[in-house]
Amino acid sequence: MILKIENASFGYGKDNILKNVSLTAKKGELVAILGPNGAGKTTLLRCMLGFLKWKEGKSTLDDKDIRDIPHKKLWSSIAYVPQAKNFTSAMPVTEAVLLGRTSRISFYRQPSEKDIRAVEEILSRLGISHLENKLCNEISGGELQMVLIARALASQPEILVLDEPESNLDFKNQLIVLDTLSELSSQGVTCIFNTHYPAHALSRCDKALLLFKEGNSIFGDTAAVVTEKNIESAFGVKAVIGEVDTDENTLKSITALSLSDGNEVRSDDEERIAILSIIASDFSQGERISELLHSYSRYLIGRMGMPYKKAGVNIINVTLEAPHSEVDTLLHKLSLINGVSVKATYAKKEGSF
Amino acid sequence: MTTGKRRKTGALPIWASILLVIMPVAVSIAAMSIGRISYSVSEILQTIADGISGKESGGPLYIVIWNIRLPRVLLALLVGAGLSVAGCAFQSLFSNPLATPDTLGVASGTSFGAALALLMGMSLIGVQITALLLGAVAVTLTWLAGAGKNKGKGLSSVVLSGIMIGSLFNSLVSLVKFTADTETQLPAITYWLMGSLSSAGYESLKLGAPPIIIGIIILYVIRWRLNVLPLSDDEAKSLGVNVNILRVVTVICATMITASCVSMCGQVGWVGLLIPHICRMAFGNNHRSLVPASISIGACFMVIVDTIARSASAAEIPISILTAIIGAPFFIILMRRSGGWRI
Repeated sequence: MILKIENASFGYGKDNILKNVSLTAKKGELVAILGPNGAGKTTLLRCMLGFLKWKEGKSTLDDKDIRDIPHKKLWSSIAYVPQAKNFTSAMPVTEAVLLGRTSRISFYRQPSEKDIRAVEEILSRLGISHLENKLCNEISGGELQMVLIARALASQPEILVLDEPESNLDFKNQLIVLDTLSELSSQGVTCIFNTHYPAHALSRCDKALLLFKEGNSIFGDTAAVVTEKNIESAFGVKAVIGEVDTDENTLKSITALSLSDGNEVRSDDEERIAILSIIASDFSQGERISELLHSYSRYLIGRMGMPYKKAGVNIINVTLEAPHSEVDTLLHKLSLINGVSVKATYAKKEGSF
Repeated sequence: MTTGKRRKTGALPIWASILLVIMPVAVSIAAMSIGRISYSVSEILQTIADGISGKESGGPLYIVIWNIRLPRVLLALLVGAGLSVAGCAFQSLFSNPLATPDTLGVASGTSFGAALALLMGMSLIGVQITALLLGAVAVTLTWLAGAGKNKGKGLSSVVLSGIMIGSLFNSLVSLVKFTADTETQLPAITYWLMGSLSSAGYESLKLGAPPIIIGIIILYVIRWRLNVLPLSDDEAKSLGVNVNILRVVTVICATMITASCVSMCGQVGWVGLLIPHICRMAFGNNHRSLVPASISIGACFMVIVDTIARSASAAEIPISILTAIIGAPFFIILMRRSGGWRI
């Protein structure tokens, strides 16, 4: 199922706060919507889902305008997770999650045993079965967020749309929520979420949409969208995108340095020589890796691959000559594939060889 | 379905369902045996059976039971159940624990209609019809004033305009009282406003019962859906519910019930606030159990209160006075023991 926004604009009065927005989310993709406060992230989600009406353009599901799809049908394919801070119900967790089944139960019916089984299955899938009998107003913010995700999943949607799922949560709970999203997207559920944290987009998402204050936006591969330059012009903050080495991967992180004075625009797109060292612990991913490398063939200078059967891993070494941003994008895409560890070593081009 | 699974869907435990069915019946029979003349339970059951099988004895027992106590108990059952379930629906609709059946100004409009009819010296049925009509007028005004353009602002504007329309009609009632003849009309209007079930008869029930029964049945059937009402607009829509239809159905049912109750027995305060909260504390917030519990407990409460009202002293005590005197302490005790409530 493909969810699209096609050249859409929206504004409450004369002026449009969202201008010519486009977005495409394919099956199993994890898409982040980024932007400063007040840029219209929540409005974008509300328009996308048809709660508000686009002034121009439309959102489509499998090329059909969302507003033409009957209520019940639409909401059994898409589910929406609102911000947890607005939720105030004193219901037990199971009953709250059961409400998510509403689109699958007819108007005058009561939920059946089948519905309860679906709910139990989702609670255990998200690892929150222990919350079952607690009241929603007596659990922590992180737990509540998981309950709301469970409620959305109860209708067995193919697309999950979340409004700032990890805001107001501490480090651990942010990770739990993000891990859940990654896990869901690897199971084929498309996840689209609003976030204040560019780092979360960088570390998790295939695609990103960055909203600027003036209502413009860019959409594309995360590494191409979330760059130091774009962050500066969207948030008005000078930031560096750094790398943190873990045992398996190089994780991207972003640190805000200072408020931007708006004058200088850095350009850091020199050609580099880079060696990517890849270890794939899952043979079945080989095809996806080759496919990805193939799309970068114009930059490739050398490539070496060898299966190391004894350890069950595939070792691949790729040498590239490419602009820094391209290397970055490739690195990022590779690191998003399950079971792949990848790191890069760089050299400046006119170095002293 | 196993008991555990049943509970998880928010259904009542079996023992509670049985109790909620038996209680109103038992309370009604007990209420019919109490009064100026006391009868035994077996006498009452015998008389009712006689009446149903068509054996009209015509004795005093038969007349007291069939013509006085039975219609009165039926009215109490309907009014108690109706006002409770309407209050419960309004509290969820406006996600406001202070909402009562009168929130949209229905009861005030109905009262004005009744006062006006009493001023003009209409018959009891005339009073009832005028009251019903003006109740409908009041709700329509509230809805026109509050809904529509302010859609985005949620339902708070409807509540606000309900309060406005309510006070408008309350002052109109005062105006009627002011112009009424102090010897005969004013006491009649004042007494009527305090609420009494003494006018109960099959004629007024024929007109007043159907709206109450239909309203209760609809709310009971869609009880699980009512759980969606307190959620925000977007949330409710994203659950695949057409919130607007659900809201309109709820408002129509609840106001229909309220207007009909008030038109038959005046303003019966408190029940619509008290009983739903008592049920929330006892059974939780899931409407799957809250609605049947409110219906049954509201009915019992009203029968008990009315029995006290007619038999505690030589003169009948107005019912609103008793609902507060009996209800408030009971409510406070329960609130302190259960640690409060949340919608």
